[in-house]
Amino acid sequence: MSSAKTSPTSVPPLHASSHVLIDADDVSLVIGDTKILDEVSFCIHSGEFIGLIGPNGAGKTTLLKAVLGLQPISNGTIERAKSTIGYIPQRGSMYDSQVAISVMEVVQLGSRGDKKVALAALKEVKMADSAGQRISELSGGQQQRVLIAKALASKSDILILDEPTTGIDERSQDEFYAILKKLRSRGIAVVMVSHDVDTVLTLVSRVICLNRTILYDGPPEHFEADRYLPRLYGRQHRLLHHDHKSEGDN
Amino acid sequence: MPEILQYGFMVRALIAGLLIALTIPLMGSFLVARRYSLIADSLAHVSLAGIGAGLLLGFSPVLVAVPVTIAGSLLLEYLRQNKRISGEASLAILMSGGLAIAVVLANLARGARTDFSSYLFGSITTTSMSDIVTLLIATVIVLLVIGSNYRALLHIAFDESSARIAGYKVSLLNYVLAAMTALIVVLSLRIVGGLLISALLVIPVITASRFAKSFMQTVIIAMVIAVIAVVVGLVLAFYVGIAAGGAIVISALAMFIVSLLLKP
Repeated sequence: MSSAKTSPTSVPPLHASSHVLIDADDVSLVIGDTKILDEVSFCIHSGEFIGLIGPNGAGKTTLLKAVLGLQPISNGTIERAKSTIGYIPQRGSMYDSQVAISVMEVVQLGSRGDKKVALAALKEVKMADSAGQRISELSGGQQQRVLIAKALASKSDILILDEPTTGIDERSQDEFYAILKKLRSRGIAVVMVSHDVDTVLTLVSRVICLNRTILYDGPPEHFEADRYLPRLYGRQHRLLHHDHKSEGDN
Repeated sequence: MPEILQYGFMVRALIAGLLIALTIPLMGSFLVARRYSLIADSLAHVSLAGIGAGLLLGFSPVLVAVPVTIAGSLLLEYLRQNKRISGEASLAILMSGGLAIAVVLANLARGARTDFSSYLFGSITTTSMSDIVTLLIATVIVLLVIGSNYRALLHIAFDESSARIAGYKVSLLNYVLAAMTALIVVLSLRIVGGLLISALLVIPVITASRFAKSFMQTVIIAMVIAVIAVVVGLVLAFYVGIAAGGAIVISALAMFIVSLLLKP
C-alpha cells in the first residue's frame, strides 16, 4: 500500500502521520446508466481529520459505504490496512426503536461485551451517568456521543461519520466537535461528511470536495470557496453569497 | 389438584404453551427491534399452506408444514437481503399467497375442515406428546443459537451496517433467525393458531418495552407477559370453551391496555 496519493488538487496532509489506513484507487461506481463515482482516489492516514463535502447526490454517502465495504464498486480498488472502523451513519431512527436498548448495551456492542471498556468509553464522552438509561430517551447530541463511545469501545482506528450533527442544537454540536478533535489528537482518523461547510473548514485538517469525482483534496486553508462552492451549491449558494455581499455593502 | 390439570390434553397444552411463551417473545424482541414484526404473520400463513398440503396428502400436517415454512422464511430473507422486492411487499405477497394456497388445499382435503380450523385459531385438545417433544427440541435449539450469538443478533437488530463492519456473519445469522422463526411458528400453530401467532410475537414485546430500560429487561418482561397470557388464555379456553389462540391473544392485549393506563 502506498503512503501517498495525489489527485490533481491534492497536497500532502498537514497533520497526519504517514500511516495509511485506507487506500482508495480509481474507484468508480455505475448504477444503471448513472455514474455515481468517477475515478475517485484518496488515502486516509492515521490522525487525519477529513471533512468530506459536496452537494446532495455527489456520492458522499456512497463513497463512505464503499470505504466501509458496504457498497460494491464497479471499478478500482479499496485497500484497508488492518484496522477497526467505527461508523456513525446519518442521524436517524437506528436506535430509536420500539424496543428498549440501554446506553450501556449499545456501547457494549462496540466492546464485545466488556463492561469495563464500555464504561471507560462512556466516561470519555461524558456519558457515564447515563449508562443505565434507554438511548431513545436521550437528546440527539447525547445519542451521537454514545455512538462515539461505542466506536471508542471497539478501539476504532478510523471513525467515519455521515452528517452526524444534523438536527442537533448548536451547543451540543460544539461539544460533539470537541470530542472529535480530542480523538484526532489520539491518532484516530476521523472522516466526516457535513453540509456545514464553514464549520468543516474550521475543524478539519483536510478537505475532500466531491461531486462524483474529487474536485479538491487538500488543507482547508487552501480551499478556494469561491472556486468550488458555487459549483457545489449552485444558485442557492450564489444567492447566499450575494446576500452577504449586500450586507457588507450596507 | 385443580380440575384443569386432571386432563392430559390440558397439561400437554400448558407445557407446550409455556415453551412457546419462552421462545416467541425472545425471537420477537429481535424481530420487532429490526422492524420485522410481520414476519411471523407471513410465515404463519405459509405454514397453513403446508398444513393444507399435509391434510390433502394424508401426511402429518406439521411435518409437511415445517420444511414448507422454513423454505418460505429463507425465500423471504433472500428477497429482503437482495432488495429484489421491498421487505414489506414480500411479506404481503407471502402472507396472501400462503393463505390462498392453504384455503384451496384445505377445501380439496375433504372432511379436514374442522382440523384445519384448529390450526387457524388454536385448540387445546390437539397437542400430542410428540408435539411437546418436538417443541422442546426446537426451544433448546433456539435458546442455544440465540444464547451463543446474542451480541451479534443484538447488533444486527439495531444497526445492521455496523454489525457487518464489525465482522459478524450478518447474512447467515439473518437466515438462521428467519428459519428458527419459521420452525417455532409451525410448532405453535396447534396452541395459538396461524392467524394469531404474530400477536404473541409482538404484543408482549411492545408492552414490555414500555417499562424496560434495556433490551435484556425487555426480553425478560416480555417472556413473563407471554407466560401469563398463555396460562390465562388456556384456562379461559378450558372453562369457557373458546379458541385457545383467541383467549391467549386477548389476555396479552388486556395487559397491553393496562400498560397504556399505567403509563400513558
